[in-house]
Amino acid sequence: MREPTRRAVMLGGLSLPLAFRARAIGPASEVDIAEIQLASGTVSRPEAWTRLLFELLQSTSVEAEPRVVQVAPDDPALFRHPFAVLAGNAKLPPLSEAASQQLVRYLSYGGFLFIDDTSGERESAFDTSVRAMIRKLFPTRALTTLPSDHSVYRAFFLLHEPVGRVALHRTLEGVAQGSMHPLLYSRDDVSGALDRRPDGSDAFPCTPGGELQRREAVKLGINLLMYGLTSNYKQDQAHVEQLIREGRLE
Amino acid sequence: MTLDWLFGGCCGPGGTLVWTTEAWIVAVAAVGVVLAIVLAALPRPRGGARVAEIGLLAAAGAVLLFAVAGPVWVQEGDRVEPGRYVALVDASRSMQVLDGDGTPRSDKVAARLARLPGAEIYSFGDSLRPGAPTAYDLGDTDLGGALAAIGQRYAGEKLEGLAVITDGIDRGGLRRRVLGEADAVLPRLNGPLTIYQVGEDGGRTDIAVSDVRAGGFAFLRAPFAIEVDVRAVGTSARTLPVTLTRDGQPAGTKTVTLDAEGRGTARFEITPEAVGRFIYEAATPVTDGDAVPANNALSLAVRVVRDRVRVLQVCGSPSFDQKFLRLFLKEDPAVDLVSFFILRTDRDMGAGWDSSELSLIQFPYEKLFSSELWSFDLVIFQNFDYRPYFANNADELLGNIARYVKENGKAFVMMGGDRSFDLGAYAGTPIADILPVQLGVTGEALDADPFTPRLTDGGARHPVTQLVGDPSENSRIWSGLSALDGLNLSRGASQGAAVLLEHPSLKGADGKALPVLAVGEYGAGRSMALLGDSSWRWSFAEAGEGRGNQAYLRFWKNAARWLIGDPEDQPVVVEANRDNYQIGEEVRITTRVRNVSFAAVVDAKVDVTIDGPGGRQTLQGRTGADGSVALALPAADRGAHRVKVVARGAGGQTVGQAQTAYAVTTRDPELEEVEPDSTFLRTLAARTGGLYVAPGEQVDPLRNPEAGRRVRDRAETPLYAAPLVPLAFGLLVSLSWWIRRRVGYR
Repeated sequence: MREPTRRAVMLGGLSLPLAFRARAIGPASEVDIAEIQLASGTVSRPEAWTRLLFELLQSTSVEAEPRVVQVAPDDPALFRHPFAVLAGNAKLPPLSEAASQQLVRYLSYGGFLFIDDTSGERESAFDTSVRAMIRKLFPTRALTTLPSDHSVYRAFFLLHEPVGRVALHRTLEGVAQGSMHPLLYSRDDVSGALDRRPDGSDAFPCTPGGELQRREAVKLGINLLMYGLTSNYKQDQAHVEQLIREGRLE
Repeated sequence: MTLDWLFGGCCGPGGTLVWTTEAWIVAVAAVGVVLAIVLAALPRPRGGARVAEIGLLAAAGAVLLFAVAGPVWVQEGDRVEPGRYVALVDASRSMQVLDGDGTPRSDKVAARLARLPGAEIYSFGDSLRPGAPTAYDLGDTDLGGALAAIGQRYAGEKLEGLAVITDGIDRGGLRRRVLGEADAVLPRLNGPLTIYQVGEDGGRTDIAVSDVRAGGFAFLRAPFAIEVDVRAVGTSARTLPVTLTRDGQPAGTKTVTLDAEGRGTARFEITPEAVGRFIYEAATPVTDGDAVPANNALSLAVRVVRDRVRVLQVCGSPSFDQKFLRLFLKEDPAVDLVSFFILRTDRDMGAGWDSSELSLIQFPYEKLFSSELWSFDLVIFQNFDYRPYFANNADELLGNIARYVKENGKAFVMMGGDRSFDLGAYAGTPIADILPVQLGVTGEALDADPFTPRLTDGGARHPVTQLVGDPSENSRIWSGLSALDGLNLSRGASQGAAVLLEHPSLKGADGKALPVLAVGEYGAGRSMALLGDSSWRWSFAEAGEGRGNQAYLRFWKNAARWLIGDPEDQPVVVEANRDNYQIGEEVRITTRVRNVSFAAVVDAKVDVTIDGPGGRQTLQGRTGADGSVALALPAADRGAHRVKVVARGAGGQTVGQAQTAYAVTTRDPELEEVEPDSTFLRTLAARTGGLYVAPGEQVDPLRNPEAGRRVRDRAETPLYAAPLVPLAFGLLVSLSWWIRRRVGYR
């Protein structure tokens, strides 16, 4: 296995605008990320998400626009961006009724939300308030730990452990709707592993695994985007059978 | 006698006098009489004779008034008459079956009726008719209905008796209730029941297919069972061969083992390979002496439909458009979806990932577009560029898809993007021949300005773009949908294609608006082109506006249904008015013709070919203002008939073809059973307290000695018309006149 260096990742990202890029018909249809911002408790990491979109462009056939937009949960513009993230490290304020209704509608009609606890702690006020928020949004559906054969772990890369800047929990949780999970939640600060300083260097070290762990976090990020686009595609019989035949799945 | 004559009839005691004239008429007459008397009395002097004259005249006036008042003498009373006897005679066709002596059962009816002198006779089949049968030609024998009708007709009367002369082959439900339900409610009888069975048990041979079951429809490529019940009487055979044909062609043979009662069931497992209506016929051999050869075969129409539409979605790049289409297709239980998304291309190989880290599989394009292709009903190319994969055999694989559509009647959809249409280099390939838009754009092949597509006239009619039933509401919904992000440019619609949505401003070289959504029919199949990659906004953005995603779901449901050729969405639809006909009945075949835009085609030439056991028949007609034409022919030959219709427009071009099937039978439902059912008749007699009389037995019927009916009498004597009235009036007036002359007046 080759280990990518920070330089390689950066070169990949920088070289993209110069290389051939597949384009959707209009830029509005290309894949981008909406960053949901609340009055407090959330953090904005546009560099992390932009890097993830570059990685997506570099590694996959997805036509992405490395564009991150900040939206409030009750902003109708949210429906122009089917992939959204909510990152935070402190207690979140309660959602307004309008925001709650819009988020439920967003997730029910095909939107995808990734929530990222950036506190890097085992227990956090953010985690407590996220769970309360989810209970309010989906009173009849629990936030559950995803099984190891979930599609998100094979959406593009074969992942064994989902980690971020930290590796305290090494799991993803989610809320199911039918056979899919339109809401996934990580408590290991995935965006922290992706975030960069203005000079292009990594914003935070990854612990305890260092660059190998960051590499896994990048793979997780790409898988999250891919899962947001293809949902349970990787559970289709043809794929499972082929992967088992090739010895990559048991 | 003289007195009765004078009074105009019998005016016995116990009667009442009824005045029948309106009071005001009597009053007017009274005034007239008084005035006449007064005028006659003036102006003469008084005297004894004078008083007598006026008195007689007044008496005559009173008689006249009595007559005007309309007196009627009414006498009422009851009397009891002897009870009546009623005989019911089975007049169904099963009564024509020959007994062992070579005579039909109906010949025994007269002898039975001879034991019922004075009986009021009715015949019955599916209904009750007064009088003895003149012919035994009725069907659907309904003894229960006949008994109920007698009960109503003689309600309140105790019949002396009720006799039924029948073979017991009841088809109206009474037999099933009597034999199958211990507490069945039976018809109320007005008198003791005597059942005379005609038709001897046994003594005849009959082999019959008594039932064929398949549930009416089956699913394409899914095995289904056809069960055939057979029945044999009067034969020592313990097994029977049963053959099954589909539209006259062999479909299988089974040997059935018969049980002690001569019954058995054959089970055929069939896997239909085509959708449509098919006639299956089960038959057993006709042997010498078979009492009813016509019941040795039975037909059944089976409609084969798709259970799930198999869809192959090939996407060149994961996108929101692909995501929402997959969500729709995956959640539709009627769709069996196989998706292949190109997640990585050669251009993405330099990112530094080892292939062992990836969860990717090889794109099995050769297998998909050769051996596996034919199992799909619909193939969707969503922003898919074939060149990286089909490099060595592009013509063969793309040609397979074109043949799959044109020859196999399957469906193809191309959706837009930067790897689609001209940008996917499909111009000049076999795929271009099945696209409803013309490729070969020179210069820019994309327009990235957002726009709201416009519904065309064709789109207003076409089932694909019918989001709601009301045309104006449908047009309003389309115009209000979220804008699309851009358009794949084309050289306009292909020959014969229909544009359903068009660009509001961009025009082609011919000056026509560029198509956004177009459909076409190619050979036996259909295709659709959606020249954009942002139809997902009709789902997600609409939901964001609080309008839900129904427009998107309805559009794709319509599209899938039309593309796979739902029978109701074909340009030419043909149907017979029934599945089965008796010989001699009229077969009515209706053909409906619509163009690719689903407008009625007027004056289309319709050629109908009917292939059956008797050979080929042809019919011709032209469609009317509603695009339909009905043609008729007599059902002449027994067996399956396949109807093929070709409709041509005014220019002779073929609009479309359609097929259906029907069966003609000589089988008489009334003769499906030929053995008399003595068990039923004995049980019915026992459960009603009646008497069962077997064939040949000479037994008088049960009679109720207390039977009778109370008759209400009413005698009316119109006294105003009695001879006494004019006699008295004339005598009184004459006497008055005589006295008047005697005293010297005129």
